[in-house]
Amino acid sequence: MFDWRLILDAIGILIYALVVGFIFMGIERKAMARIQRRIGPPIYQPIIDTLKLLGKKESVSHGFIYNFGPVFALGVSITALLFIPIANFQLFSSNADLIVVAYLLEVPMLGIMLGAMSSGNPYSALGVQRGLLTMVAMQLPYGLAIIALVQHWGTFKLSQLVALQQLQGWSITVPALALAFIVFDIVFQALLGLEPFDIITAPAEISMGPMVEYGGKHAALLFTQHAVQLFAETAFFAVLFFGGASNLLDLFLKQLLVLFIAIFVASIYPRFTIDQAAKFFWKWPTIIGIIAVLLTV
Amino acid sequence: MTLVPEAYVVPLTLFSPLVFGVLAWLFDRDWIREILGVIGAAVPVTVLSLAYEKASSGTISYTIDTGVFKLHFVLNSLSWYFAFIGALVGIAMAFGLSSTSRRGYDWLFSLMSFTGVMGVFLARDFVSLFLFWELMTFGSFMMVLRRNRHESLKYFVLSVIGAYSMLLAIGMVYAKTGTLDYAMASQTLLLLTKMGGVSKAYVDTIFALFLLAFGVKAGVVPLHVWAPGAYGENDQSYTSFFSGVLSKAGVYGFIITLFVMPSLYGIYFAMGTFHGHLTGTYLIAWAGAVTVVVASFLAVLQEDIRKLLAYSSVGQVGYIILALGVFNGVAVGGAMFHVLSHAMFKGLFWLISAALILRTGKTRFEDFGGLAEKMPVTFAMALIAVLSLAGIPPMAGFASKWLIYEGAIQAHMPLVAGTIFLGSALAFAYVVRFLYAVWFGQRPSDLDDVREAPLPLLVGMTILAIPNIVFGIAPGLAVRLINRFFNTNITVNSYYSISTPTGTYNALSVTLVLIVGLAIAGLIYIYGANARKIKVTNTYQSGNPVTEEYNLVIRRNFYRPLAEALDFWLKYSWDRFYERLANLTEDFADWLREGFYNGNVQSYSWYLAIILLILAIWGVL
Repeated sequence: MFDWRLILDAIGILIYALVVGFIFMGIERKAMARIQRRIGPPIYQPIIDTLKLLGKKESVSHGFIYNFGPVFALGVSITALLFIPIANFQLFSSNADLIVVAYLLEVPMLGIMLGAMSSGNPYSALGVQRGLLTMVAMQLPYGLAIIALVQHWGTFKLSQLVALQQLQGWSITVPALALAFIVFDIVFQALLGLEPFDIITAPAEISMGPMVEYGGKHAALLFTQHAVQLFAETAFFAVLFFGGASNLLDLFLKQLLVLFIAIFVASIYPRFTIDQAAKFFWKWPTIIGIIAVLLTV
Repeated sequence: MTLVPEAYVVPLTLFSPLVFGVLAWLFDRDWIREILGVIGAAVPVTVLSLAYEKASSGTISYTIDTGVFKLHFVLNSLSWYFAFIGALVGIAMAFGLSSTSRRGYDWLFSLMSFTGVMGVFLARDFVSLFLFWELMTFGSFMMVLRRNRHESLKYFVLSVIGAYSMLLAIGMVYAKTGTLDYAMASQTLLLLTKMGGVSKAYVDTIFALFLLAFGVKAGVVPLHVWAPGAYGENDQSYTSFFSGVLSKAGVYGFIITLFVMPSLYGIYFAMGTFHGHLTGTYLIAWAGAVTVVVASFLAVLQEDIRKLLAYSSVGQVGYIILALGVFNGVAVGGAMFHVLSHAMFKGLFWLISAALILRTGKTRFEDFGGLAEKMPVTFAMALIAVLSLAGIPPMAGFASKWLIYEGAIQAHMPLVAGTIFLGSALAFAYVVRFLYAVWFGQRPSDLDDVREAPLPLLVGMTILAIPNIVFGIAPGLAVRLINRFFNTNITVNSYYSISTPTGTYNALSVTLVLIVGLAIAGLIYIYGANARKIKVTNTYQSGNPVTEEYNLVIRRNFYRPLAEALDFWLKYSWDRFYERLANLTEDFADWLREGFYNGNVQSYSWYLAIILLILAIWGVL
């Protein structure tokens, strides 16, 4: 009844994703620091931070939902990860397709917000509001990019998407999908919560928004969630546009490429205000996205 | 089947709500009224579940002979599906009403509209459709009238427009075919169109009139203006039925026009294609898409819990209309599934709002706050409703929306599919608004002695919450029902797993992995040190202590930046447009009246002279 191989694979990938996700967070900080001519923390710093937070003697809580929020977020991130085909590991990807994964990747935000809202902090509430408005703004171009992709390849199954790309060339080599790639990359900046769309956390304005109240083990959970989410989202990107990967190293390089694009963009641009972001998303990315979907009809 | 003889199935389903509603109105005493009402609402759901086997394998017909004409009713798998959803929400509504209403009046008219809806679902000919349609509209109109005259008038005017167009369409069908039976009429019509006995424009007109009639009830933009008022200014327990089921009568009407009357179906082909899509259905898809976007944006910006839910309801029905318009197997299957899941989660939402209004007496978001501690069970129900509406796997709302996504993208309607993405993000935004403003944050001091919702309401909520989870984890159950009456092209691999030609969704595996994921996260949580519970107001405020007097919760204009980004579009409103049109008409009529009846005898004699002259020219005199 049980497929032990699959379960072992899943556990292995989970541990790998966790470590690599934390490393990605470290790389993000280090690269950002180097661009700004600082030395920056060591690459493994996020792991140390998380362990320190977990080891805190006491943490405070505003009630059940406040605790449940981060747990739910991490749980859903893990779920999303396990439905993406990671390199040569198919995991559970035959059981759910692109739409399910795209949805699952958005749900953790709801978990974080649920927790943030249950504290009475106005910064949290502002963060929630800004996060949701960013999501509303980016969803249209995001959807258009995905639609273009599916219309071209004619399937929703991620493993088939990978197989087709390995046969016929990566998505970005198709002109229409190259447009979709541009759109998706802009949206990706918002998905990762990086500048110019780090409207949700905006450290200088609303002190990390939804995260403001969290400390101790709750914050450790959110860090872990961020690591898993970062790995899952970059892997998802690689699967959609860079033909997946045949082994973990291949995947790692592709994820790194995606990550570095995001870091470079993030370190150049200042932050948009929320209405600027909405107007921006509904202008250029949407127009490019519409062109992409019309080219693939 | 042995419990209820076949001959009684349809009449029991149809008339027990009405009969018991009248009884509840007559014996208007506490307890008696409630018990009678609940029995009346419980009969259809019981009878329908007992008749499941028979209805899914064959049909149960029933005819009432009034002497002048015959009313035909048929219970087959299609009508069973709709009627059962309606009956399920109906029994939940009855439990809700026994908490929120103390009047026989409410019972009479809500159960009257219950009977009306059942009749609409089971009708097999246009006369019974029209009669029960009006019964349904009348019942719901009386419910609004009692509470708000202005809103009821708006509902009345639009319903009358709908009714007249339906009557006109039925008349046009009857004039050419001489029959009122769906099947007969459609066959004759098809024959006539083929032989050239009926012009294309004639059938197009019938089609348009039907869409207008059903579009009003389904709340398609721009015919939606009655919905926020009528859903809001009502007993919220009844609204769970009003918005959950009566709007589905509109959807059912669309299904009749699209599928039950295949001659009109033939018309779509006759109407030609537009970029590879049938023009007729393409228009419906866009009507749905516009409804989704407009209503969802408006829902996000509402400040009143009832308005938010009402606009959200309009938007969600928009999904169904959109999916019907996409017109491939998967999307139509998704539409049918969404009929089920929308009825369940929106019914649940309205019962929750009924509980909130009953216990707090408030409706605006700025007056709520921090109720999660005071009403924990209702909050748990609200969470289920929110997760289902936002389409979080593994809830019923996700499974149905997933099918609509796949259908719309497969049909190569990219822009229509894009609006679904936008709509679902907006849905996220408005449910979080509801969650935040009502349940979380600092509690206003006047809500300190709020109690948990009364038991009957909780029972009603539970009845609607369970299907949200069951059909979410086992979407195959619903799809199997749908496949009985419509060839959806969706494969049911097992109860838990469904596949479209290009995608697959195994709800059970998602659930299990989610449970494992939550368990891992929970372990990390448990591993950490114990958490000390502190007050909601004890928060990080940049080192400034904040006292209780300051309410730091953002409850008013929560999404103001969005309103600012949209200010250009928000200047236009259908509602204001209609109001202005009504005012213009009134002014014009005033002007006419004052101009003619000016009290001057000389001008009256002139009118007489002119009329005589006209008659003389016409040759009457």
